[in-house]
Amino acid sequence: MRVAAVADIHVGVDSVGRVAAGLRHVNERADLLLLAGDLTRCGEPVEARAVAGELVGVEIPVVAVLGNHDHHAGRVAEVVGILEDVGVVVLDGAATTVGVDGTTVGIAGVKGFGGGFAGANATAFGEPAMKAFVGETKREAARLHDALVAVRPHTDRVIALLHYAPVPETLRGERLEIYPFLGSHLLAEAIDTAGADLVVHGHAHNGSERGVTPGGIRVRNAAQPVIQRAYRIYDLGEPAVRDAPVAATG
Amino acid sequence: MAEPQEYLVHHIQDALATDPRARELGVDVQVAGDRVVLTGTAATPAQRASIAEVVAELADGYEVVNEMTVLSPAEDETIEELS
Repeated sequence: MRVAAVADIHVGVDSVGRVAAGLRHVNERADLLLLAGDLTRCGEPVEARAVAGELVGVEIPVVAVLGNHDHHAGRVAEVVGILEDVGVVVLDGAATTVGVDGTTVGIAGVKGFGGGFAGANATAFGEPAMKAFVGETKREAARLHDALVAVRPHTDRVIALLHYAPVPETLRGERLEIYPFLGSHLLAEAIDTAGADLVVHGHAHNGSERGVTPGGIRVRNAAQPVIQRAYRIYDLGEPAVRDAPVAATG
Repeated sequence: MAEPQEYLVHHIQDALATDPRARELGVDVQVAGDRVVLTGTAATPAQRASIAEVVAELADGYEVVNEMTVLSPAEDETIEELS
């Protein structure tokens, strides 16, 4: 099972053809394409139509979450509708399943939000604005957890797809002061509790590519300025045999 | 009195996030001497140019040095095995 992933393509109306050119061979190289948020520059429907145009040649399933840029114009429903019209599955607290050659992969997706990481994180204390900020992250983490739990029993592999970062390792290279705006450990806790095989996120353009959750799940920052290529391909291998009977020993 | 440089950086970053010509949060802005140096990545050459234009309007009296790169992401066949 080969999964292609990229985040932060930031398509604007002046971007025609730039993303499509990088996706020319994706159909033969991967079984699935993940887009980890910030598909558009500021979430305008005209930009979402530009994204749809860039994906015309992609025949493998495309699964996406939105990012903060996709929310800026306040026209999320229209953006989602335009992407869905061209077959993109846009996840927001839900999961989808893709089957390839008898193997199934479940993808649970949310945008996520900020708050920082253990020891230097925001808490829901004091002013309503602070409680709202942390509350948003807690809701996103809970929705991700529930989506992972719902999809996991029915699939061979599970991927958590986010825009914001669940761990600080993939932020290395960013200024420490902005970590609380780039992700939250609450997202990692949700993933570790529910279980997954891989986490893909974006958002941190100056961050690092590889990290791991405290529970040992691999995390990849697929932000295009980080990976410096059209997309990354991860091979999730053959499915493990679950609940295999223990062989009798003599 | 001229605006302290720290505030200028903040005003520039605010403008880059909100000005319709830029709409980019990933620009690193440094004010050094009489120069404003921009680093980071832009999605297109046009966006790279507009970002410098927005900065030049705010940074009166400064030279704008645009060292931003434009992503031209190519495909490659590298596969990371995660099994």
